[in-house]
Amino acid sequence: MMAFLTGALRRQDLDLHVVRARRRVRSCWRFVHGYRSLYLAAVLLLALAALARSSFAWVIRTFTDDVLLPGNYDRIPLMGLYFLSLAAAAGLLTFLGGRLAAQTAEGVTRRLRVFLYDHLQHLPFAYHDRMQTGDLIQRSSSDVEEIRRLFAEHLVGLGRIVSISGMAFFAMWQLSPRLALVSAIVIPISVSVSFGFWSYLARIYDLFQDQEARLSSLLQENIYGARVVRAFAREQYEIAKFERENAILLNRGRNVVRFHNVFWPSMDLILASQMVGSTLFGAWMAIDGQISTGTYVAFTGLLGMMVGPVRHLGRIFAFITQSLVSYDRVLAIINEDREPLDTGLVDMPQELAGDIRFEDVSFVYPEGTQDLPGESTLPGVLHGISFHAEPGQVLAILGPTGSGKTSMMNLLPRFYTYTGGRILLDGRELTEYPRRQLRRNIGVVQQEPFLFSRSIRENITYGTFRKVSEVEIVAAAEAANIHESILAMPRGYDTVVGEQGVTLSGGQRQRVAIARTILKDPRILILDDATSAVDTSTEKAIREALRNLMRNRTTFVIAHRISSIASADRILVLDQGRIVQTGTHEELVAQAGTYRDVFRLQTSIEAELQADIQSTLEAHPA
Amino acid sequence: MALDSNQYEEEEYSATLSGAALLRLLRLTLNYRGYLAGYVVGVIGMVLAEGTHIYLGKRILDEGVLAGDLGEVKYLLWLWAGVAVALAGCVALFIFCAGSVGQAMNYDLRKTMFGRLQELSLAYYDRTPVGWIMARATSDSRRVSELVSFGFLDMFWGMMSILVFLGFMAAISWQLALVMLAVVPVMVGSALLFQRHILGHWRDVRRLNSRITGNYAESIHGVRVTKSLGREDSNLAEFAELATGMYRSSFRAAWLSAAFLPVVQVLAAVAVALIIQVGGLQFRTGVITLGGIQAFIQYIFWMLFPIQEMARVYAQLQQAVASAERIFSLIDSLPEVQDQPGAMEEHSLRGAIEFDAVDFAYEPDNPILQGFNLRVEEGETIALVGPTGAGKSTVVNLLCRFYEPQRGSIRINGQDLRGMTLHALHSRIGMVLQSPYLFSGSVMDNLRYGRLDATDAEVWYAAELAGAADFIDAFEDGYATDVGEGGSLLSAGQKQLISLARAILARPDIFIMDEATSSVDTMTEARIQQGMEQLLETTTSFVIAHRLSTIRNADRILVIKDGGIAEMGSHQELIRAGGYYHDLYRRQFRDEKSRTADPFFGSRLVHA
Ligand SMILES: Nc1ncnc2c1ncn2[C@@H]1O[C@H](COP(=O)(O)OP(=O)(O)OP(=O)(O)O)[C@@H](O)[C@H]1O
Ligand SMILES: Nc1ncnc2c1ncn2[C@@H]1O[C@H](COP(=O)(O)OP(=O)(O)OP(=O)(O)O)[C@@H](O)[C@H]1O
Ligand SMILES: [Mg+2]
Ligand SMILES: [Mg+2]
Repeated sequence: MMAFLTGALRRQDLDLHVVRARRRVRSCWRFVHGYRSLYLAAVLLLALAALARSSFAWVIRTFTDDVLLPGNYDRIPLMGLYFLSLAAAAGLLTFLGGRLAAQTAEGVTRRLRVFLYDHLQHLPFAYHDRMQTGDLIQRSSSDVEEIRRLFAEHLVGLGRIVSISGMAFFAMWQLSPRLALVSAIVIPISVSVSFGFWSYLARIYDLFQDQEARLSSLLQENIYGARVVRAFAREQYEIAKFERENAILLNRGRNVVRFHNVFWPSMDLILASQMVGSTLFGAWMAIDGQISTGTYVAFTGLLGMMVGPVRHLGRIFAFITQSLVSYDRVLAIINEDREPLDTGLVDMPQELAGDIRFEDVSFVYPEGTQDLPGESTLPGVLHGISFHAEPGQVLAILGPTGSGKTSMMNLLPRFYTYTGGRILLDGRELTEYPRRQLRRNIGVVQQEPFLFSRSIRENITYGTFRKVSEVEIVAAAEAANIHESILAMPRGYDTVVGEQGVTLSGGQRQRVAIARTILKDPRILILDDATSAVDTSTEKAIREALRNLMRNRTTFVIAHRISSIASADRILVLDQGRIVQTGTHEELVAQAGTYRDVFRLQTSIEAELQADIQSTLEAHPA
Repeated sequence: MALDSNQYEEEEYSATLSGAALLRLLRLTLNYRGYLAGYVVGVIGMVLAEGTHIYLGKRILDEGVLAGDLGEVKYLLWLWAGVAVALAGCVALFIFCAGSVGQAMNYDLRKTMFGRLQELSLAYYDRTPVGWIMARATSDSRRVSELVSFGFLDMFWGMMSILVFLGFMAAISWQLALVMLAVVPVMVGSALLFQRHILGHWRDVRRLNSRITGNYAESIHGVRVTKSLGREDSNLAEFAELATGMYRSSFRAAWLSAAFLPVVQVLAAVAVALIIQVGGLQFRTGVITLGGIQAFIQYIFWMLFPIQEMARVYAQLQQAVASAERIFSLIDSLPEVQDQPGAMEEHSLRGAIEFDAVDFAYEPDNPILQGFNLRVEEGETIALVGPTGAGKSTVVNLLCRFYEPQRGSIRINGQDLRGMTLHALHSRIGMVLQSPYLFSGSVMDNLRYGRLDATDAEVWYAAELAGAADFIDAFEDGYATDVGEGGSLLSAGQKQLISLARAILARPDIFIMDEATSSVDTMTEARIQQGMEQLLETTTSFVIAHRLSTIRNADRILVIKDGGIAEMGSHQELIRAGGYYHDLYRRQFRDEKSRTADPFFGSRLVHA
C-alpha cells in the first residue's frame, strides 16, 4: 500500500477501464478505487475536527452560565485554556484530514493523467481523424485539473460542510431538541433548491466548456495555418471568425454569471429567513425560561455554524456540478475503445519472412470514432484488392491522387481494419497477430512525415528501443542522404527542429523520417511517396543506400515517377480503389492502359531531353 | 532565434511581484469603471450588512433576551430581516459586476492577443511552441480575469470586512478593539508569510503542469507516428515519470496548504481566548455586556474568513501577475516584419521583380542566401531547382516578405517591398505552400479562403483548373464534404490540389507554386499544366519543383545552390551548358533508359 501511495506506479494500478459505467455515481466510486479507505479516513478526521469546533459552543455556554453570570471569575483562564486546546485539536485534525485528502486527490489525478495519456495513444486512427486536437488537449489539461479539484477541494468541502452542520445540529440537539429541529428546516429546503439549480448549471456550464474548446481549436488551427493566413492576407477574416466564437463564449460566460446572480441572493434570503425564525424562537424560549441564557448564546453560535456552511453548500454544489461536467468530458474519451496492441492468437515468428497476400480485400473508412469494420455508410475506398508479395520482393504502387494507395498501405500495420476479404502475412491472417508485433516489423515512411520538436538525433532514434550508437545514427542519416545537411547546421545533430519540423526544408523533413525508419530496421518497408520533395539525384542516392540496407525485405513503394518504380518486381496500378493492372514494367508498357499512358507522358519529355543532350554532345564531344 | 531545448522554462517566474505588470493590469481593469464602481458599492454594502447583523445579534441578546422583552426581539429581528434583504441585493450587485468584469476582461484579452497573433511574423511562430501560445490565450487569460474579478473583489472585501468589523468592535468596547488591533496584524502577517512559503511549491507545480500539457499536445499531434513506430510504452514511461514528479510536488504543496487553515484558526482561537480573558474581566467591572462578548467572539470568527481569503488571493495574485506578464509579453511582441509608416496600401504588383544583393539567414550563424541577385520581368515564369535545403522555398518566402532579408532589398516595379503594406502585398500574391494546410470545415470553405466573395461558378472553375473538380464531385457531399482538421480526411494529393485551387481562385498578380504538385499523379499534373498555361502566361510566376515535366516549360530556370544562383537560362540553354541541371536530368534520363541495370534495391538481380 505505501509503495503505491508514494512511489512507483505499477501497470495494474493504472487501469481505469473500470470507470466505464453507465451510472456516474458508480463510475466515480470506481474512479477512487485503491484510495477509498484513505479518503474515508480523511473525511472522518475532518468530521472529528468539526466535532472539536462545535464544542466551542459548549465552552461558550459554560463561560456564560457557569462563569460570567454567577461571577466565578477565577475560572476565566481555564475557559481560555479549554478554548485553546479545542482549537489546537481541531487544527491538528483538520491538517491530518487535509493531508490525507490531498494524497487521495493527487494520487487519483496522477493515475488519471497517466491513464488518459496512454489511452489517447491507444485510440485508433479513426478516432484521431475525427477529433479536434485542441479539444483533446483542453480535456486532458483543464478538465483533468477540474477533476483534481473535485477531490482536493469540493468533495472535502462537502464533507466538511456536512460534518460541521451535522455536528452543530447534534450539539444543538444537546442544548434543546426543539430548537435543533426548528433550525434544521432550512437544510432540506436549501438542498432541494440547490439541486433545482444544479441541472441548469450543468447545462450552461457544459455549453461554456464546449465553446471554450471550440475557441482553442480555432486558435490552434490559426497558429498551425499561420502561413496560409499570411499568404492569403486573411488576417481580418480570421479575426472576424475568432471574434464570432469569442463573442459566443462571452455570452455563455455571462449566462454562468447570471446563474450565480440569481442563485446566491436567493440562497441568502432562504437562509436569512431561517436565521430570523430560529433566533425568534430561541429568544422566546430564553425569555420564557425554557432554556438558559448561556444556552441561548451557545445556540446563536451554533446556528451560525449550521446555517453558514449551508450557504457554502450551494457553492460546493455549483463547483461539483462543474467538475462533473469535466468528469463526463474526460469519461467520453475513456469510454472510447482502445485498439488492443497485444491481443492476438499467435506470436509473430522471430524471423518473419514477409510474405504478404491480399485476398479480395475491401475497405471503407469508419464513419465514427471507433475503428469498427462494417458499420460505415461512407463510400468504399478499396474494392476486391488481391495480390501476392513474396518475401524480399519490391512491390510498387502507382495510381492517381485519391485512388487509395495510402489507404491500402494503412491496412498492413492495421492502422485501420479492412472491411472485407483477408490479408495474410506469412500464411496467417493479419488479425491473428498482435498489433504491436506487427508494427514493430513494419516500417512506414509516411507521405507527410511528422517530426517532434526535439533534436534531430532524438527524432532519428525515436523508433528504436535499444541503445543505438552514434555510428548507427550516422549510418542511417547517411543512407537517407541527410548526414551532410545536418552537419552543415550550426548545432549539427543537436539542432532542435521547430514544431512539426517547420524549421527544416521539405526534403530535409522527409529524409529525417527516412533515417528514422531505416534505424528501426523493419522486416517490411513501406515508402509512401517518401521522396516526393527530394530532387532526383538525391533520390537516386537514397535508393542506392537503401538497396544494401534493405536487402531481402519486402518493400512497398508508392511513387508517381516511373523512374522510381520501374525496377520493382511487380507494379500494381490502382484506380478508384481497384487494381486495374499488375505486372512488371516491361509487361505493363507492352499493354494498353493507365501505366503506358503515364509512361509515355513521362518519356515523351525524356525523349525530347535525349534529343537535346544528343545535340549537345555532338556539338561539344566530351 | 534558437529554439530553447526546454521551451517551458519561461514558465518560471520571479518570486517577487512584477510591479510594472501589476500596475498595467490595474490600469486595464480601469477600463471597466462602471462595473468596478458597482462592485465597490456592493462589497461595502455587504460588509456593512454583515457587521450590522452581528451587532443586531448583540442587541437581541442584551436588550431582548437578557431584558426579557420579546417585543424588542421582534422589532430587532425585523431590522435584521431588512438588512438581510439589502445584503442579498448587494450580493446580486457584486456578483453581476465582478462576473461581468471577468468575462469582459477575458474576452478583451483573447481578442487583443488574437489580433496581435495575426500581425506577428512567421519567425515568431517558428520558435514559439504552439502550446505556449495556447496557454496564454486560455489558462493565463482565465487566471488574469479571475484575479481582476473575484480576486480583487475578495481582497477588497477582506480588507473592508476587517476594517468595518474593527469599527463595530470599537463601538462595543474600544479596549477590546485595541486588543484585536494588536492581534489582527499578527494574524494577517503570519497568513501572508505562510502563503509566501508555499508559493514556491505551487510554482513548481505550475511549471510541471505546463510540461504535462506540452507533453499531451505533442503526443496527440504525433499519435500516428507513435503508433507506426510502436512507441507507446516508452512514451508512457516518459510521461509517467513526469506525472510522478508532478504528484510529488503537488502533494507537498497541497499538504503544506492543508496546514494553512489550521494555523490561521489556531491564531483566531488565541484571539478568542484573549477576548475571554480580557472580556471576562471587563464584564466583571461592567464595561461590557454579555452580548458584547458574544458579538466579539463572532466578529473574530467572521474575520477568519476574510483573512483566509486575502491570503489565498495573495497567492492567486502572484500567479495571475506572472500570467499577465506572459500575456503582455505576447501582446508586446513586435512583428519582425511590419508595415513602415506611410507604406502604400494600394499598389499593383505588376512589373519587374528585383532581388538586389540580398543576404538572408534564419539563424545568424547559418546563412542561406548571400548576395542574391535576380531580375524577373513581368509575366515571366521562373522555375527554381536545386538540391533540397538549398533555399528555394526561402527565396519565395522572402518575396512574400514572410521574413526580412538582413541585407539588400527586394523591389517590385521599382517599389521596395518595405514601402507597401503587408496586406497590399499578400492580397496580390497567390501562394501554394510546400506543406499544404487546410482548415477544418468544408471543401467549399477552404477554396473560398482564396477569395471570399467568389461565386460558386468561379470556385468550380478554379477547382477545374487545379484538377480538383473530379474528385470533389465524386464525394458524396461534393463541395460540402468536411476535410477534417488540417485536411486529415483527404489524401495528400487531394490536399495539394485544393490548396492549388485556392491560390488560383485568388487571381493574384504573382503566382508561386512551391512543390505544388509533388504528390499528384502525372496525368493529373499534365492536365493542370494545360489548364494553367494561360494563367502562367499572364502572371509573373515562380515554380519550385523537382519534376522535370513541371519546370521545363518555364521561361527561365534558376539553379539555386550554395546561397546563390548557380545557373540560369532556359531549359535548352541549361542542358547545353552542361552544368548541374544537365547532370541532374541526364542522370534521371539515363536511369530510365537503362532501368534493368538499376533494379530497385536490386531484388530482381538477386532473384534472377
Ligand atoms: N523557419 C526556418 N528556420 C530556420 N531554418 C530554416 C527555416 N526554414 C528553412 N530553414 C533552413 O534553411 C535552409 C533552406 O531551406 P529551404 O526550405 O529554403 O530549402 P528548399 O530549397 O526549399 O528545400 P526543399 O527542396 O527540401 O524544400 C535549410 O537548411 C533549412 O534547414
Ligand atoms: N482518414 C480518412 N477518413 C475518411 N476518408 C479518407 C481518409 N483518408 C483518406 N480518405 C479518402 O480515401 C480516398 C483515398 O485516399 P488515399 O489517401 O488512400 O489516396 P492516395 O491514393 O494515397 O492519394 P495520394 O496520391 O493523393 O496520396 C480519398 O478519396 C480520401 O478522400
Ligand atoms: Mg497517399
Ligand atoms: Mg522547399
